[in-house]
Amino acid sequence: MSRAQDPENGASDWSLLERIVRKDESALVALYDRYSGIVYAESLRILRDVAAAEEILQDLFFQIWRTAEKFDPQRGSLPGWLLVAARNRAISRLRRRDSHPNDELTETSVVLPCNLESAAAQNQLLGRVKNALSSLPNGQRAAIELAYFEGMSHSEIAARLAAPLGTVKTWIRLAMEALKKELA
Amino acid sequence: MSAQHPIREEDLELLALGAVAGEECESMRVHLAACADCSRRFAEARGRVALFAFAAPPQNPPASARRRLLQKIRAEELASETSAPATPARSQYAPFHPQARWWKTIWLPATVALAILTLLLWTSDRRIDNQLRQLQQQVRVYQAQAHRMQELAAMLAAQDTKTVALAPTPRVPNAAWGRVKYNSRMGIICYTGDLPAPPPDKEYQMWIVPMAGSPISGGAFMPASFDQGRMCMAKMPAGLACKSFAVTIEPMGGMPHPTGPMVLSGSGL
Repeated sequence: MSRAQDPENGASDWSLLERIVRKDESALVALYDRYSGIVYAESLRILRDVAAAEEILQDLFFQIWRTAEKFDPQRGSLPGWLLVAARNRAISRLRRRDSHPNDELTETSVVLPCNLESAAAQNQLLGRVKNALSSLPNGQRAAIELAYFEGMSHSEIAARLAAPLGTVKTWIRLAMEALKKELA
Repeated sequence: MSAQHPIREEDLELLALGAVAGEECESMRVHLAACADCSRRFAEARGRVALFAFAAPPQNPPASARRRLLQKIRAEELASETSAPATPARSQYAPFHPQARWWKTIWLPATVALAILTLLLWTSDRRIDNQLRQLQQQVRVYQAQAHRMQELAAMLAAQDTKTVALAPTPRVPNAAWGRVKYNSRMGIICYTGDLPAPPPDKEYQMWIVPMAGSPISGGAFMPASFDQGRMCMAKMPAGLACKSFAVTIEPMGGMPHPTGPMVLSGSGL
């Protein structure tokens, strides 16, 4: 995924966060340039609404600005939290659920299996995930996309795809296995 | 009820995906709140699932979005600066207050004591909040279980509930047995029985054979996962006319159509 020129390319997420705690605006900009593309793309895919996706993006980075000191790198990765929190908020909005999902920096730990700090790593991952999905039969791909991007439960997916519940569970499990195999 | 430890990796991934709902979801969350090991594995499952974000078509936010974010944080900084109480300018020649030194000797310890007390109260408050949240989750699980038990009791007491004995096939020991009670009007099926542990990576799966059409799954199960003793309950399409019932051995998670060997069967006619 392309992103704006990152003048802080070598800085780790953690060092940027430390600077954000000291209210260093350039560190927030660097972090934003690093992850805004994937966070925005994810929210937009879920909501299909440019304004709503941008609002989620702004809210998340504003939250980082205000509460960066609460983030504990021992408990997980920042991009992991961003991806999970963006999805939670977008799906809550899509399905008109509680508009305040539990995604505080201190509450949600997400351990990513790979480092996403460089644009090259993100581009490589993009290709691998696309490979994994394109290798799936239609049913498996539809099931995982409905679960991830529409926030549907097993039973909702079974009803949408007119497939038995057990089959849907198997499809999702196989899709996860395909992703893990691609990332191995 | 809390999920069994350890929760399987694939179940943690389904939970992270948000695909698990109802009682199953609640029982896993209750277990995760109390189990550090599963909680750590859940954080890893969340990370694997989060990578599906990269399946979204690449899209960069408009350049104006970054500008608006910076305007927002500058406005907030400005607001916090202007709302902070102004510090009175310190006089070059401060008046002499004989009680000031005495006051300073108790001011610092008093502040430290107050800070410790505040911290203790805050910690205690958070602990109580967490306990309350766990109890609320448990109550929801118990309510769901009670509802299921009420449904089951109503089904067992209904006049039009039918019983079918399932006989073992040569695939299982003679001692194996099964019995199905079902009510087509209520759309509920209840299975009791005794089966040996299935082969590794396999589960048992119940099948309802309708008067017309292909067998319908009544759910995959493990003998150890029965709700109460050796009994499990599932939903079936309401109004379905059942010809027979069967239990087969299938891959974990179940299959859309029977593929494995039959271990129990019985006629519903």
